[in-house]
This record gives sequence, structure tokens and C-alpha cells, in this order.
Amino acid sequence: MSQQSGKLGIREYVSIAILMVGMKPTGDLPTALYSMVQGAGWMIPLISAGIFFIPLFLLVKTMMLYQNQNLFSIIQKLLGKYIGSIVCLIIFIISSSIISIDTRTYTNIIRTFYFTTTPNVIIYSILMLVCAYGAKKGIQHIGSAAYLVVYYAVLSLTIALILSFQDSNIQGIFPFWGPGKLEILKSASKNLYIFLDFFLFAMLIPYFQSTKDFRKGTWVAYICVCIQISAAVLVFISLFDTSLSGIGYPFHIEIRYISLGSYLPNVEIFFFVIWIMGAFIRFTAFLYINVQMFCHIFKIKDYEYLIPALATLYLLIGSISETPFDVSLIIKPIITNIVGPSFTLISIILWLTAWLKGEFKHANNKEMV
Amino acid sequence: MKKRLFNTFFNELNKTPPYNERSNESEIQLKEQDISTQYEQNLTTFKSIFSYPQNTDIKVREFTIRSLNRRGFIIFISTMVDSKSIQETIVEKLIENQVPSGNISDIISYPMERTAANIGEITEYICGGVTALFIDGDSQCYIFETTEVRGRGIEKTDNEIIVKGAKESFNERVADNIGLLRKKIKNENLIVESKVISKRSRNDVFLVYEKDLVNNELLQKIKERLDSIDSDKILDLSILEQHLEERPRSLFPTILYTERPDRAASYIEEGHIILLMSNSPSCLIMPATFWSLIHSPEDHYLRTPYGNFIRILRFAALFVAVFTSSLYIAITNYHVGMIPPDLLMAIAGTRERVPFPSIIEILMMEMAFELIREAGLRVPSPIGPTIGIVGALILGQAAVQANIISPIVIIVIALSGLSSFIISDISMNFAIRLARFLFILVAGFLGIYGATAFFMAALFYLVSLKSFGVPYFAPMTPHSISSKDLIVRHVPFKERFRPGYLKPKDLVRQRKG
Repeated sequence: MSQQSGKLGIREYVSIAILMVGMKPTGDLPTALYSMVQGAGWMIPLISAGIFFIPLFLLVKTMMLYQNQNLFSIIQKLLGKYIGSIVCLIIFIISSSIISIDTRTYTNIIRTFYFTTTPNVIIYSILMLVCAYGAKKGIQHIGSAAYLVVYYAVLSLTIALILSFQDSNIQGIFPFWGPGKLEILKSASKNLYIFLDFFLFAMLIPYFQSTKDFRKGTWVAYICVCIQISAAVLVFISLFDTSLSGIGYPFHIEIRYISLGSYLPNVEIFFFVIWIMGAFIRFTAFLYINVQMFCHIFKIKDYEYLIPALATLYLLIGSISETPFDVSLIIKPIITNIVGPSFTLISIILWLTAWLKGEFKHANNKEMV
Repeated sequence: MKKRLFNTFFNELNKTPPYNERSNESEIQLKEQDISTQYEQNLTTFKSIFSYPQNTDIKVREFTIRSLNRRGFIIFISTMVDSKSIQETIVEKLIENQVPSGNISDIISYPMERTAANIGEITEYICGGVTALFIDGDSQCYIFETTEVRGRGIEKTDNEIIVKGAKESFNERVADNIGLLRKKIKNENLIVESKVISKRSRNDVFLVYEKDLVNNELLQKIKERLDSIDSDKILDLSILEQHLEERPRSLFPTILYTERPDRAASYIEEGHIILLMSNSPSCLIMPATFWSLIHSPEDHYLRTPYGNFIRILRFAALFVAVFTSSLYIAITNYHVGMIPPDLLMAIAGTRERVPFPSIIEILMMEMAFELIREAGLRVPSPIGPTIGIVGALILGQAAVQANIISPIVIIVIALSGLSSFIISDISMNFAIRLARFLFILVAGFLGIYGATAFFMAALFYLVSLKSFGVPYFAPMTPHSISSKDLIVRHVPFKERFRPGYLKPKDLVRQRKG
């Protein structure tokens, strides 16, 4: 039966994308945005999405040329064996460092807010253990699990945001342009990394039922996600206002702050459960993509045996930094500043190469025939 | 690779002990032969095969057929045949008939006559309750299907009780069971195919499906699975179920076991395949998804709002049954801040004199509850209710008074225990009850984080489960066309599709219009 071949459906893909990208405002993203442009922080995701739309559009267009080929094989095909491999390796290293940093950030959140006496390494290893197990099951099962979780994740995020309305003050978004229009534009271009996951999803193309699903799913998820992030940041800005710059993880402060009526004053655990479920899916998919990259670069066929090894490696890399402070304020900005421009550059170079090589004309001719 | 290494190691450790089997080659050879025309030889052959007269219910009756003026004998197993009709329609006719005639079918009035010559084949027939007639000088033996198996009649369902809808259930006679299905699906495309699956006791199963609906690949897959079974005996459908399952050690079932013919019929109509077996008052429905294991036939018999109400109730109960105990442990041990202060004080007050940690309390009460439940099943019915009351009273009230457990634990256990009864499928019920213990342990280890991590791992496991190639959560994810009868159902006339994951030959149940 064809269902057994385990292809990724469009619903599953969109769910993974929403959980991977859309859950970012629950980390330290809003704080970073606020400290850059203050009240105009909510605009950044929208503008970044606008800027990132160009490379993503070019990338998707290039990807559509080749049916059922993943990002790396296309990079190698277009840029040649040696340059292509180097570019692939760079992408792999960047995304590896991002997964290490992000998992560490989430571990920090869990430790700081919910399990203050549990050693970091236990929380971290359980996180990686579950992710490794999930990644071993394959992307179609990650997708299925994501689809089962995504509604509750978005619903709980929405409820959490709505519950904070009564104490928030919409005037927090003023001055409307923050430090100035140019400054906003600059920060937006610095924050392209918010959407970098879409770039990485191109690794999953061979697992789709058709490449068209990838294109359609990408745009649907892209729109959902940028609205979601922007709305979340907006709510945090109006709830915390100026104090947002001093709050590490506003989502977790917020769910501690809100209450369901006067009888249930502390409901953070409900939101925590669903948030952590989303986080598991996010890192599972991320880990899986990284493993695929590694397999492609080093031509390994059995990826299953690689997953525990890479998961352990990320755990060790993530454990290097001593404090949450180091992670969020020193290491992360370095990575995020590199990611956006480099991925944009790669997308544009790919498209240019394909264009100069005449691949588009070639494809058109093929269609005509 | 690692697995193989381990296996060789273990094989070295426990080798199968050598034992001397007695060869039965001579008997096998005998069974391959045809019967002889010699009357005496046939008589001794069959007497020795059936160990007559040591085997008390084997009856051999010798007589002279007057009209042919030849010797003959019949052999049958008296406990499996209708003795009265043998006497009236076979023996009396043969003895009393005076008119000379060469044809046995003219003499005997018993219908369904067949002939056979192979000794092994005849032996199989006799074991199945058939009467065999041997006549001196004939190279064929006459077979009369006189089978009459004893069993109970069609009764009410015991385990899957519903209020509205059909009440009859399958029984141990497979002919009755097939009749019950035929009664509901009056269609010539309903195929009942039989297959012998075990070598020694020759148990047969019946595959029931609709020829113009079922997916041929699925059918082929199930037949292959049946053929691949290599066993001496499979006495019951529930044992066959374990042979058929892809993951027999898994906590979660992948085949639906039901005793309701109406349920089986509705699954046949969707393109599923049903297995029936003689001596089993139930049927197996394949493939089964998570949804079919959670649903109850009553969801569809009740009017839409009521049906959806009990279905949502059941889903809530599912979560309550799995998570209440672990949530209690997680919250009281790790996230005390969640409980409203007044309630927290009350809980702390009652727990003050209890010497155990709350996980021990919960485990003790869960065990007690499982004990009451299991004991309640096994005790003879007259004292059953008494045991229930004694159990509830002693374990609840007295344990609280003795400061062994706190009263809130009783509420928690009662809630989760009661909820676990709502899942009517017995396998799913066990899965849920066992999963509950696992969740209690992880919640005791790492609070809500541990429980969630475990839940996610379980979710990854569940979505990867397959029942004959059908994913466990189909058609929700991966998505396929269906009538969306998952968490809530539509009104019956909106359910227009058969489940797409089965790839039935006819997907649309009713056209629009």
C-alpha cells in the first residue's frame, strides 16, 4: 500500500513548521527584539518575514526545478562537488550550533522556572533522549505527532495570550516607530534567523508526497507563523512594557502571572505541559533534519545509528556554556547575526547559478515538450 | 548487528535440550494410502487409527446390507454426531431395504452424500463428526455429514453492553456466527472463506469480507500472515490474535476483538476483514486503528448529540484514567503552587499523619483497586457484590482511619479507576491501566516534566504503530478520506465515505444528492 511508504503530508509539514518556528516567541526572542527596537518589536517578525520572503521565494523556485531532491543534493549539483560540499558543511555547522544553543536555552527555562533543584544535565539529557527516540521513528511519524499536538499548542498559546489582556496596556507599543524606521529595518535584517527553519525544511523534500506540497505548505506555514510570532510579541510588549528588556523568558513570566479566575491562581503547569510538548516536537524535527544533513555530507545510509551519537554531541556542545546568561546574551547573538545573511546569500547564489546555467529555461522547454 | 551478536550469545547459553521423538512415519504413510476393497482390512485399519475400543466414543457398527447381500460397517464419533438420524436414515434403511439395488444413494435417505478413498482424508472427516460407510468390495467410502456440535444458543452480550441497539452476541458455534452476519448483510458478495491453520488439532478459521469492497492487497497480506503461522494448535481466536499481531509484545492492541455481530457487520461494510473461528464466541476485526478501539457501537445508535456526548465523555475518561494519579503525584510533589491555598491546606492537613510519601500511597491504592477488580471478576457470582462492598469499605474507609492513606488519594484512585471502566475494549482497557502505572512512576521521578517527556515518547511510539499497514491514528494523521468519524461523528447521512486508509474498491458509501 502506498501509505506505507511513509510520506510527509501537507498537514503534518505545516504542523511541524508551526511548532518549530511559531513557538519561538515562547523563548527569549521577545526580549531580544525589545532590547533592539523597544515598542516596535512586534513589527520585526513581519518585516523580517517580508525581507526573508525574497530568498525563500527564490529557494522554493529553485527547488521546484528538481523533483524530489533535497537541499544538499541541489547545492552540490549547482555549485559543484567541492564548493557545494563546503557550503553544505557550513550550513550543517550553523544549524548544529543553533540546535545546541536552543536546546540549552529550553533546558535553562525548565530549570529556572519549574525544576529549580534538578541538575541541568538530567533535564537536558531527558530532552535529548526523547528527541533522539522521536527522530529515530522518522519524519512522517514526527509529522503525525506534530499534527496531534499542534492544535493544542496553538490553542494554549492563544488562551495564554488572551488571559493576559486584562492587565495589559496597548499603549506600550508607542512610540510607534521605536528608535526610528531605519533602525527597525536594520534590526529586521538582523533577525532573519527567525525564519531560518524554512530554509532547512528544504532538506525534507524527498519525504514529501510531491514537491508541490512543499511549496504550498511552506507558504501556508510562513503566513501563519509570522502572524503568530508578531501577535505574541505584541501581547508581551503591551503586558510588560519597558520591563520586557529585563525579563529573560517573557512567556513563562506571563503564564505565571495569569490566573483562571480567583480560585485557580497558578495555572502555569497547564501551559508548561503543552509548551514542552511543542518543544519536544521542535527539537525532534530539528535533530532529524541535522542528521539528514550529516548523512548527506558524509554519505551515510543508515541514519538511525547516527541519531543517538549526534544527540549526545549536541548535548555536550550545549553544556559547554556555564550560565544561561552566556547562552542568551553572548553566544546566541553571534550565531543569529551570521545565520540570516549567510542563508539569504546561499539562496540567492543558488538561484543565480540555476538561472545562469539556464536551468529555468531548460525546465520551461521540458514543460513545453 | 548488535541484536544478532546478542542472539548468538544467548543461543550458546540456552540450547534446546535434546529429546528423542518417537517417529510416526508409519502412521503418516498409512494415511497417504487409499482404502482397500477388503472389508476386514478396512475394519482393522480404522479400528487401529481410532484406537477402538479404548477410545470410548468411537462407534463402529457392522451389519449386512440385505439388498446387496454384502457386509458393511459405519464408523463415527458418537459425541459429535446426530445419533438419531444415523439410526433412522442410514442404519435402518441399509438393514431393512429388501429391493435389490446397486446404488447406495437410492437406499439411504440421508442427504449430502459424498465419497472418499484416501485414508487420511476419511480420518479427518470422521474427526469432524462425519459418518463413514464402508462396504465390502467397494474401493470408495461413503461420507455423510451428520455433524451435530453441542453448544449454547445465541445469548445477550456479556462484555460489550449497550443500552440501545441489538443485543445478540456471537457464540461458540461458528455456523451460528456466520448466520448472524449473513442475517445482517444480505449480499452475494459477502464471502466466507475457510482456512485450516494448525497442523495437529486442525483448527479452521473463517475469513469474512465483502468481495467488492475489500482491498485485495490487504486480503492477501492477512492470508499470508495466516499461512505463515506454524503451530500445532490454536484453540481460540484470542490466541490467534497474538499470532497475527505485528507487535505481540506491545502494550497497545492492533486488532479489534469483539463479540458483537452488529459491530462486525458494520466493519465488513466498511471494507474490513473479519476472522471467525469455531469455539470462539467472538471475532477479530482487522485492521484496527486507535479510533476503532476507543469507539463503541452505541456512539452510532444514539442520536447524534447524545452519541457525541458519550464519545467526548469517553475521551475525557481516557485522559482521566491515564493521568489523574500521575498528575496528583506531580502536583503534590513538585508543583505545589498550583493548588489553591485552601485546598492545599486541606490536603496537607489530611496527609499530616500519613507516614508514606504520596507515590507509595498512590501505588498502594492502585494495587488495591486492581486487586478488587480482578477478585471481583473471579469470585463466584453470589458473593461478588459482597466482595465489592467489603473491598470498598475496608480499603477505603479503614485505610484512611488507620492513617495509611489520605482521603484525597481515595478520590483520585476512584476517579481514575472508574474512568478506566469506560473504555469497553478489553485490550485497550489493559493498555490504559498499565500505562497509568508507568506514568505514576515517571511523574514520581521527575514531576510533570518527566510525565510529559514520557507522554511524548509514547506519542512517537503510538503514531509509528501499524495494524496491517494502517497507521494507528489514521485517518486523522496521516490524513486520508473518511467520513470523519474520529473524536466526534456527523449525522449518519453525512458519513459518505468508507475509510480511505483501507483503500476499499468502492470508497463512496452514498453519493451526494
